[in-house]
Amino acid sequence: MLNKLTAGQKIFAYACLLLLAIVIVFPIYYMVTVSLKLPRDIYRVPSLLPVNPTLKNYTDLITKQDFLLNIRNSLIVATAATVVSVFISTLAAYSLTRLQYRGRSWVGRLILFSYLTPAALLFIPLAVIINRLQLGNTLHGLIFTYLTFAAPLSTWLLMGFFRGVPVDLEEAAMVDGATRLVSLFRILLPVIAPGIVAVSVFTFTGAWNELLLAMIFITSKDLRTIPVALQYLITGDVFRWGLIMAGAVMAAVPIMLLYYLSQRFVVAGIGAGAVKT
Amino acid sequence: MAEPAALSTRASAKKPRITLRRRNSLLGYALVAPIILCLLVLVVYPFIFGVAISFTDREVGTEGNFIGLANFIYLSKVPSFQKSIINTIVLVFWVQLLKLVLGLSIAILLNQAIRGRKLWRGMVLLPWAMPAFVAYLTWQLLYAPQGGAFNLISVGLGFGKIDFLSKDLAMPSVIFATFWRGFPFWVISFLAALQSVSQELYEAAAIDGANAWQRFRHITIPAILPVVLVVVLLSTIWTTNGFENVWLITQGGPSDATMTFPVLAYFGMQTMRIGEAAAVSVTLLPIFAIMAFVGVKVLERD
Repeated sequence: MLNKLTAGQKIFAYACLLLLAIVIVFPIYYMVTVSLKLPRDIYRVPSLLPVNPTLKNYTDLITKQDFLLNIRNSLIVATAATVVSVFISTLAAYSLTRLQYRGRSWVGRLILFSYLTPAALLFIPLAVIINRLQLGNTLHGLIFTYLTFAAPLSTWLLMGFFRGVPVDLEEAAMVDGATRLVSLFRILLPVIAPGIVAVSVFTFTGAWNELLLAMIFITSKDLRTIPVALQYLITGDVFRWGLIMAGAVMAAVPIMLLYYLSQRFVVAGIGAGAVKT
Repeated sequence: MAEPAALSTRASAKKPRITLRRRNSLLGYALVAPIILCLLVLVVYPFIFGVAISFTDREVGTEGNFIGLANFIYLSKVPSFQKSIINTIVLVFWVQLLKLVLGLSIAILLNQAIRGRKLWRGMVLLPWAMPAFVAYLTWQLLYAPQGGAFNLISVGLGFGKIDFLSKDLAMPSVIFATFWRGFPFWVISFLAALQSVSQELYEAAAIDGANAWQRFRHITIPAILPVVLVVVLLSTIWTTNGFENVWLITQGGPSDATMTFPVLAYFGMQTMRIGEAAAVSVTLLPIFAIMAFVGVKVLERD
C-alpha cells in the first residue's frame, strides 16, 4: 500500500493528520491547562489558554486532600497485583504450553472465558463473596479481585511468548541435568523477558486505572485509590475542576511514561490481539 | 515438586517412560493450580452465584428467598431498565461503527508513505495510554457548561452556549468520548494487519490493471477481515459492559438519557436490593454468553 501519493492526495492526507492531531491532543492540552488554573480564573476569565498559571491545585491536592495517601494505595495495589498475577500467570502459561496432561484444553478455555468476562457482569456477586471472605474494605481484597482481569490476560499473552521459544533450548538444559523448573527460571524466563515486561505493564496500568471494583469494595476514606478519590471530587455540588485535573495529570503521567518507556513490548502485546479497554 | 523431579529425569532412563510423563502431568497440574483456584473463586463461582441470586429477593444483610422470575418481571416494567436496554444498544452501535469506519480510515492513512510515520503512530496511542478514568473526567470537563472548552469555543465562534450534557446531546457526547478513548486499539490492530498483507499481491493486481478500490476490495479487505472480526467481537463485549464512560460523564443522566446496564446495576446495588441488581446484569448474560462462546472459539484457533 505504500504507493507514491500525488500532490493532491498528499495535501488531503496531511490535512486529515492535522485534524486527527487536534482531536487527540486538544483534550490533553485542556486537562493540563485547567490543572494550572485557580477556580476564579476557570470561571471568571474563561480562556483556552493557561491564564495566571499556578501549581496551587497540585499543592492543595497533596496538602489538603491527602492525595499522597491515594497515590500510596494505588501503588501498593497495582504493584502487588502485578507481582502476584505475573507469577501465577507465568507458571500457568508454562504448564499450558510445555506439559501434557488431561484437561489441559479445558483449563485453556477457562482462562479465555475469564479473560472475556467483564467486571461489570461480576461485581455484585463478587462484592458478596469478598465481604464473606472478610476482605471488604481492604487493599488485600482489591488486589485479590484484580486477579480476575489480570491473570487470564497475562496467561494468554505469555502462552504466545512461550510458544515462540523452541523447545530444544530447555531440552538441552534438561539433558545437562537441570529440572523443568530450573530450566523455566534460568533459561526460558530471560528469553521471554519482553513478554513479562508487556504483561507487567498491562497489569500494573489495569490495576492503577480500575474504578468500579475499588468504588464498591473500599468504604473508608484512607484506603481510596486514585480513581476513587478523584471520582468523589466530582460528586459534590461544586466542581473543583482545577483540583480534579491536577489529580488527573498526576494519575496519567506515570502511566503514560510507563507506556512510553516500554512501547516496543507493549505494542507487541496489542498485536497479540489483547487488552481490555 | 522441584527436588523429586530432578531425580526422576535421571532415573527415568532405566524406568518405563510412563513415570516421567506422569511426573510431568503432576507438575502441569501443580503449576496451573493457583490460577485455577483464583478463577474458580473470582470468576466461575461469582458467575453462577450471580445467576442464582438474581432469582431471589436477597438484600444486604439477608439471604433472601427464591422468587422465580419475579425480579425480571418487575424490571421489565421499570422505565429506567427499558431505557437502559435501548441506550446500551444505541451507545454500543454508534461507538463501534465510528471505531470501525474511522479506525480503519486512520490505519490506512498511517500506512501511507507519509513523513514522521512513527511520530503519528505514537500520537494515536495517546488516548489509549491515558487511564480511562482520566480521559472521561477530562471529557466531562470539556463538555461542562461552566469552564468547559467546547462552550468557550462555541461562544467564541458566535454559536452561543450549547448544553452538551442535556437530555438530547448527552448520548452523542458520551458516544464521542467513548470513541476517543477506544479507537487507538483498533487503529494499531488494523495497522498491524495491513502491514502483514503481502506487497506482491498488490503489485500483481496493479499489473493486471486493478484500480485502487478493486485492490482494496479484493486484497485488503479479505486479508484483514479475521483481525477486524476479532477486534469487533472483543471490543463489543467490553463496550457493552463499560461503566466509567457513562459514570464519569453523566452518571446515567439527565433523567436516564444515558442510563446503561452497568450503571443501572451499580445504582441497583446502592439500593441494597442485591437480587434485583444482580438480575440487571444477568439480563445481559445470554448475549454475553454467545459473544464469549464465539470469542473463545476464535481465540483458541490462534
